[in-house]
Amino acid sequence: MIGGRRPLQGRKIGDRRVRVDRPHSPYFRYTGLDTLSAKESTLAPTSATGRAIERTRRLLFGRRLSSDEEALERLPKKLALPIFSSDAISSSAYAPDEILIALFAGGVVALQFSVEMALAISLMLAVVSTSYRQVCRAYPAGGGAYTVARENLGQVFGLIAAGALMIDYVMTVAVSTASAVAQAYSVWPALYDVRVEVGILSIVIITLGNLRGLRESGNIFALPTYAFLGLALLLIGLGLVRAVTGQLPSAPVPAQVPVPGTEAVTLFLLLRAFAGGSVALTGVEAIANGVPAFKPPESKNAANTLTMMAILLGILFVGFMFLADVMGLRPAVEGGGPTAIAQLGSAIFGDGTPLFVALQIATALILFLAVNTSFNAFPRLAAILAGDGYMPRQFAFRGDRLAFSYGIVILAGIAALLLVVFQGDTHLLIPLYSVGVFVCFTLSQVGMVRHWISGRDSGWWWRSAVNAVGAVLTLTVLIVVASVKFAGGAWLVLVLIPLLVLMFWFIHRQYATSARELALRPDQVIAPPHRAERVVVPISGLSRSVVQAVNVGRTISSDIRAVLVIDDHELATRVREDWARQVPGVALVVVESPYRALTGPFLAYLDVLDQAWTPDREAPITFVVIPEYVPRHWWERILYNQSTNQLRRALLGRPNTVITNVPYRREEPTVFERRGQLDGHEPPGERRS
Amino acid sequence: MADKPIPLFSRVVIALNGGSCDNRIVRIVVEAARPTKSEVVAIHVVEIDWTLPLDASVAERSESAQRVLDSAEAAAEHLHGKLEPVLVQARDVGAAIVDEAVEREADLLVVGLPYRKKFGGDFAIGRTVPYVLKNAPCAVWVVREPMPAEVHA
Repeated sequence: MIGGRRPLQGRKIGDRRVRVDRPHSPYFRYTGLDTLSAKESTLAPTSATGRAIERTRRLLFGRRLSSDEEALERLPKKLALPIFSSDAISSSAYAPDEILIALFAGGVVALQFSVEMALAISLMLAVVSTSYRQVCRAYPAGGGAYTVARENLGQVFGLIAAGALMIDYVMTVAVSTASAVAQAYSVWPALYDVRVEVGILSIVIITLGNLRGLRESGNIFALPTYAFLGLALLLIGLGLVRAVTGQLPSAPVPAQVPVPGTEAVTLFLLLRAFAGGSVALTGVEAIANGVPAFKPPESKNAANTLTMMAILLGILFVGFMFLADVMGLRPAVEGGGPTAIAQLGSAIFGDGTPLFVALQIATALILFLAVNTSFNAFPRLAAILAGDGYMPRQFAFRGDRLAFSYGIVILAGIAALLLVVFQGDTHLLIPLYSVGVFVCFTLSQVGMVRHWISGRDSGWWWRSAVNAVGAVLTLTVLIVVASVKFAGGAWLVLVLIPLLVLMFWFIHRQYATSARELALRPDQVIAPPHRAERVVVPISGLSRSVVQAVNVGRTISSDIRAVLVIDDHELATRVREDWARQVPGVALVVVESPYRALTGPFLAYLDVLDQAWTPDREAPITFVVIPEYVPRHWWERILYNQSTNQLRRALLGRPNTVITNVPYRREEPTVFERRGQLDGHEPPGERRS
Repeated sequence: MADKPIPLFSRVVIALNGGSCDNRIVRIVVEAARPTKSEVVAIHVVEIDWTLPLDASVAERSESAQRVLDSAEAAAEHLHGKLEPVLVQARDVGAAIVDEAVEREADLLVVGLPYRKKFGGDFAIGRTVPYVLKNAPCAVWVVREPMPAEVHA
């Protein structure tokens, strides 16, 4: 092989050919004119430590995925229903408890209103889902509350929606995890004492899964939802048959049921129960966000799936509440009592029976699916916000597995913290949940009213009327939820949303300012530079690394000087003698520093150089070429380059100054030895900084 | 127990010319090679005219030549297959393809046959395909470009 070309003889005398080496091939691929695409090999670690880390990373997160490997899976309705509805349907697992707990404060008499509460919330569900059908049709590219509010109501309302959505997603993870663990300890009470640990472990597992690029797709995700739906509908059906035939047993009263409250049955108590139960509506918007994932016609299929989901959720919710009412269910809120659904299951299917255990497992699994919905949605929202300049840019970066890693980790961290702070208690977490959800609902509906009115498409008036009804109702519920749950924790959300908006706004302003500062006018044509250049090499002695830096400096400009800042007069004299002999043609300036400081005198020297420049000429560009010793091992870094780092930090931001690092590797002394520059000589003393 | 698939070939050389047939050839061959893990070598020959020395620095400087092989490699990876790209300079394309197949002891050689739409449309058989058919030491597959009627069908 000569110069990357290997001449070869063919079978016939005249048939010669040359095989040509392709040096770029292991690392890059040409994808267009002057366009290279990096291969995975460019990321291969070179050190043993790096390789060990890489192996561990692969074990935990799997192989790296290229951007081309991402495919948008189009979902048929039968798969889209379980995937997008898990969040909403799973809320029927904890919403009944919230109504029962709130009503129980008014004693057994107040529990008689539970069915009416469920019906009122179902009516609300019907209105909200009808309103969201309009969103599906108007935003075939996905109409999250942020998009709808920003496009129709402006930046501030868009950011409010974004803040509320973020809180909503975090709360979905915390509440669904806590509730899933509660379903588990309803069957295995021993888990109650380790509920926080179990919750955090499950968050860790789902985080790792998502960092590996887990997607909301496939039959694996459909199975738990259909299993839950099947078992829950069987439970309701069986319960109804027994109720009609008079065979429905009374629910056994668990030990954890507190003494019935003595609060009077007032409007406030009923509103509190309504506010608690309205948590059943959480997750209804998921389908409207994910319209592009549906098979064509996307909007129609999404709208129909949404209706199907609302009907199923309504049936489950009213069914559970009806059975709870007929059986005289009491909320077991103290010391890890069984959930409402667990009490119904144990009474109707029989305590400890396979059907009962299957129901509890399916309930826990669908709740984990709801958690996964947030793990997909939160990082995506954060990435959209980062793309719009409202979040740090790293939230838009996708990791090795095409997942928005930063968003995933932040979501997991906050949700885990909430679990610890609230001791994994679903009931304590709920007040923080509903407010954000209803802020999103309201902004989305108001945005849609504006959308229809400004667009004036066919049927705009009745479409806007549907959304207006939705907006009024959701706003009413928002006010109710915020007031009755204010002391219980809703205040925190009401404080957090403006804080998040302020944070978004602050980040956006920062990015906008820097973009303005960096922008080039489109009509600007950049001419070659015509400013004078000079080189200053800070040195601490004469060594191979210094010679290398000086040589680099010479290629930049002939106006070059080395500057030795030193407090040892004798050493300075010795270095000057060596310098004159060994590096002729390059000026050496010795700056004596009786106060032993290095950076200050060096910066002052640069200032003096600037001041000495002819005032009628444009200031020159000063290249500060810093010799840097590259240690062989990571631990050696502590021993070297401390002054260099300090100097580099001090020079950052200095006007008309370019910092150039010239690394010298200890493995490469041959160039000096070959030239014989140092043959027979001991390397002159250098104070390694 | 399922029978182990009998390999159609163990080492195949595919000749790419940067035309519209390339993708089709890569797809067919990689899909055929994948079950039996047969070796696929993709060769692109840059023809050097007599005004230049044979070892002139032409191919390595030609982005388009590199792109032919890089695209093939990417297409193979997309199909979860692998191929070894080889860039060659020669006076005669057909001879270079055959010589590579001989040297690599290939048991199959695949070449493309483009369809020219001009003058009523016909397959441009040229010099290379007949040379390969006559001189190849192994089986030769000729993958023809679909005719417009087939594309629209």
